[in-house]
Amino acid sequence: MTTIAVSVRDLVKSFGDEGGEHRVLDGITFDVEEGTLTTIVGPSGCGKSTLLNVLAGLESYTAGSVEVRSGEGTAADLGYVFQNPRLLPWLTIKDNIMFVRPQNVAETTHRQRMQHYLDMVGLNGIGHKYPYQLSGGMQQRAGLARGLSVEPAVLLMDEPFSHLDEITAEQMRAELLRIWQETGRTIIFITHDMQEAIQLGDRLLMLGYEGKIVEDIPINLPRPREFTDQSFVDFYADVVSRFHKLQAARAEELAEVEVN
Amino acid sequence: MDVATESAMTEIQPARLSQPATFMKRIVLSYRWLALIIILVIWQAVTILVDIGLLPSPGQVILAGWGLLTSGLFFKELAASLVRILLGFGTAMVVGLIVGVSMGSRRFWDEFFEIPVIVGLSLPGLIYAMMAVMILGLGLTTPVIAILLAAYPFVAVNIREGVKATDKELVDMARVYLVDRWRMITKVILPGLLPFIMAAIRVGFTIAWKVAVLTEVFGASTGIGYQLRYNFQLFSMRTMIAWALLFGAVMLVIEYGLLAPAEKYFARWRPKVKEII
Repeated sequence: MTTIAVSVRDLVKSFGDEGGEHRVLDGITFDVEEGTLTTIVGPSGCGKSTLLNVLAGLESYTAGSVEVRSGEGTAADLGYVFQNPRLLPWLTIKDNIMFVRPQNVAETTHRQRMQHYLDMVGLNGIGHKYPYQLSGGMQQRAGLARGLSVEPAVLLMDEPFSHLDEITAEQMRAELLRIWQETGRTIIFITHDMQEAIQLGDRLLMLGYEGKIVEDIPINLPRPREFTDQSFVDFYADVVSRFHKLQAARAEELAEVEVN
Repeated sequence: MDVATESAMTEIQPARLSQPATFMKRIVLSYRWLALIIILVIWQAVTILVDIGLLPSPGQVILAGWGLLTSGLFFKELAASLVRILLGFGTAMVVGLIVGVSMGSRRFWDEFFEIPVIVGLSLPGLIYAMMAVMILGLGLTTPVIAILLAAYPFVAVNIREGVKATDKELVDMARVYLVDRWRMITKVILPGLLPFIMAAIRVGFTIAWKVAVLTEVFGASTGIGYQLRYNFQLFSMRTMIAWALLFGAVMLVIEYGLLAPAEKYFARWRPKVKEII
């Protein structure tokens, strides 16, 4: 039996008043099963980050419902790994992680978790440093350790590797997969990078410009997945061609509207 | 080709490395004193070359200053002035902080205080000093009110800018992790505000002592301002300069002994900046 960790129904988010309403998210519906890694991919400006911020409770929504499973016991509901690591620059890495200690978790417990996850992301012995003393990749590892330290029911990740160089990003993806398999966390991972989405995810949700989910594709490729595997190449080609078809259909639609 | 490359080669020198000297050592051995020495030399030269009659030589002033120090008069008057300065400065900081935070966080207060603060910024401290003496007389409230009125707008605009510059991304991060209000204020908002608070302290303190001395000139029988007026009436230029310089020395002690180390401590999480230009 599978448990649902995130349930989104007919989610609408719009900006503007009656005159010029603009729907950023328009009728988004999906469920995320516990323990899975779902990637959400889409072009810049399609509302991916808005969707994640709605899930995180940072932004309001206009209609529909959003439910995130509560963490059990001392587990938090949510962890969030940001695109820009968003570490407090005036606190050491350790203090940054202690900073997010949930109210119902004892300090000693959280300290143990901090140590555990710092080890897991490979930052053992770095905890006393300030963020500026770390490279971009290491800062992002610290952000990941912080997200894991609250042992969240759902871990949200917003293009966490997009600012890193490709070599570091590749390494981080491999580590993320290892950590995901080790911890069994439910992860929702947003990216604009189709290859990254296919390499990481169990399932790929494609968001289009009109704020709708245009494709919902399970990814059953064997792991570990290499960009050079024939199965990966074929899958990637298939997804991209589907996306191009959608784009073409949309362009036609727009052209028709214009003619009328 | 090979020859050409060879002739064009220059050895790259490493960029200037930061000196590993300690903080105190750097103050004692720094170029700061050079300016002081040059001023003294010019001063001495002027008193020798141009016989104005009124301008005392550095030696005469140092002698007068030494007299003020050894007699204990300087410390007595300094204490009187410092009480007024600190009380006025403290009040101005509290009021400036409240006004600045209100202006930075609520549009209503931003607009409400805009005109008083702009006018306050532009009026010279002398006006507050004179008015306070005329209305309040010679008590302790006179310098405190004058300093408050002269200094709070400067504190407020600094704090307002700081509040407006609060990093929203960090605030959102803290909100996602359901951090309580106390941690939000002490670990996210205040540390970001700190450089602005330091700037406010600097400008607030500078105005406080200038205005305190002014009120003493008009309406006090103690303090450094009173001594300046007294020696002005005696036409004793050398004692006046001695008072002024000793007062300046105290400000240096406060700067290097208190403000600069505090700033350094609060900036420990920042990357060290070398000389750029």
